[in-house]
Amino acid sequence: MWKTINSALVTSIKNQTVLQPINELLYQQIRTTYVLKRKTPPNLHKLGGLRKPLRSRHYIYDVIKNTAIERQPDIEVLLTSVVEGLGNVGDKVSVRPQFAYNNLLLPGLAVYASPENQEKYKDLAINTDVKKYSTPSAAYTVQSLSRMTLSVIMNKDVPWTLKPWHIKASFRKCGYVVPEYAIELPEQPITGPNMDIENKEFAITVTINKQEKVNVRCRLHHWSTELASRLPYVPRFWETPSEPILPEQKSILDTIPIKEIPVRRLRSGAWGVWVRFLVWRSERHPGPA
Amino acid sequence: MATKSWKTLGLLQKTSALDKGIAALLPQAYKKFFKEWKLTEPTAVHYVPETGRWKRNEVTGEVLPIQNVPLPVFYPKESNDHLWGGEGVVQGFQLRDKRKRRVPHFWVPILKRSVVYSEVLDKYISVVVTDRAVSLIHANYGFDHYLLKSLACDLQSMLALSFKRKILQELQNGCPAYADRPEKQRKVLDEYKGYLSAYTPEEIEWYGYSLTEACNILKHKMEAEEKAKIVPMKHVFRAELIEKLKAASLNETKMKELEEGSSSISWLQKINPFGKKHET
Repeated sequence: MWKTINSALVTSIKNQTVLQPINELLYQQIRTTYVLKRKTPPNLHKLGGLRKPLRSRHYIYDVIKNTAIERQPDIEVLLTSVVEGLGNVGDKVSVRPQFAYNNLLLPGLAVYASPENQEKYKDLAINTDVKKYSTPSAAYTVQSLSRMTLSVIMNKDVPWTLKPWHIKASFRKCGYVVPEYAIELPEQPITGPNMDIENKEFAITVTINKQEKVNVRCRLHHWSTELASRLPYVPRFWETPSEPILPEQKSILDTIPIKEIPVRRLRSGAWGVWVRFLVWRSERHPGPA
Repeated sequence: MATKSWKTLGLLQKTSALDKGIAALLPQAYKKFFKEWKLTEPTAVHYVPETGRWKRNEVTGEVLPIQNVPLPVFYPKESNDHLWGGEGVVQGFQLRDKRKRRVPHFWVPILKRSVVYSEVLDKYISVVVTDRAVSLIHANYGFDHYLLKSLACDLQSMLALSFKRKILQELQNGCPAYADRPEKQRKVLDEYKGYLSAYTPEEIEWYGYSLTEACNILKHKMEAEEKAKIVPMKHVFRAELIEKLKAASLNETKMKELEEGSSSISWLQKINPFGKKHET
């Protein structure tokens, strides 16, 4: 079909169009599934004349590039709302193109980081009153800490008063590194050993990056170095109902979400535990569950 | 014009699709679009064009001109319902082994269903796309910018072209999709109004139709015009009759009035000796 078209006409039409700059952009962007190359180059034609007909050998191609199996570069987007695990309003982040398109650009959580948009959304971070997180992962840390029940294991033989370093050590056992200054204990001191408070709950406040505050549910356990005086092991202590050590903390403990039993455990026959759990929860949170 | 006819004297001029039948009557606005769509060489997608005018053979030192012959690509009719971003199907051969016969092969783009968002139309559209189309949307910072910046020959599919026409019409009408949000409407118009300067209203009206569609539109238009011109004779005769009757009724009333003027004196007045006014 192109044979009949004079190349001069083609160039003149290309020059006529007002929207010229895109061509440069498109020439850079040769991104396609297949880029092919002839094994045999076609015969040269006369200047300004018709192209010579292609022979069968001119249809034998080599694939020089297949972008379907190539890694596409990341794209930059400007966040227009807080995205948990990614950033705050106005942040410029570099993400995988498909993730950006499906999860940020199409839902309207972000815009392309074009020069115009960067100018347009310059004041977005300053002007909005949206809640901001200290780091992208702070929201996940808050979620994770508020879901857990921390086991605080204290001595059964030696007298003690609960201090932040005890909590720090308990967190470390669970794989959380929490500095002492970030731990806030209840005002009323908890002392022991006291078998009345065994397997009972209390709440502490952890401050993440000196900004986000989160209440953590803790369960107190006693432990002895002597094997004979040790208490029997309670598997999955967080699934058994319990009462607060300090009655004034009941309201705080009620606000902390309770960790639900995974479905796979229910399938394997933990229904008794589940029913007890539900009864306990309905007592704590009266109303529709 | 005269020089052209002189040069082409005695040569067989090939008629293009636009010179035959009703297509010859299409407006210049459509012809401009058609040239942009069919007679412009699209961006090289499936091959890397060589740059420059000449190249030297490294071995022999021979200088030869660079002539880029595009790979023949065809666009199946399904591509008109999708957004392929200029990709097409390449038919050719693979030479898998030097000592074996060449094997026919079709290089077909990988298609997937996705969603595109048009800010001007304020609509999410579910379409079948290729990765290239999506990466072009990213490169142009949005679906609307991609359509409005790309030439018709690069968009290729009728779906993309009809979207482009729709977006241009929407911009021309001042974005009625945002009628309830004037602030947003103003922002969108400011962002995209630059593209309108490249088109006249007539060009927008005729943009993005296939030749058959354009011919049909023109045909319907001409037929409607013709129809408007033709007046059935019964309407003419009816009008004439009404005119006549009107005139006749007017005459009648006039006669009556005259008659009444002459015979307005009733018999009672006739016999009344005092009824008549005596002229002095």
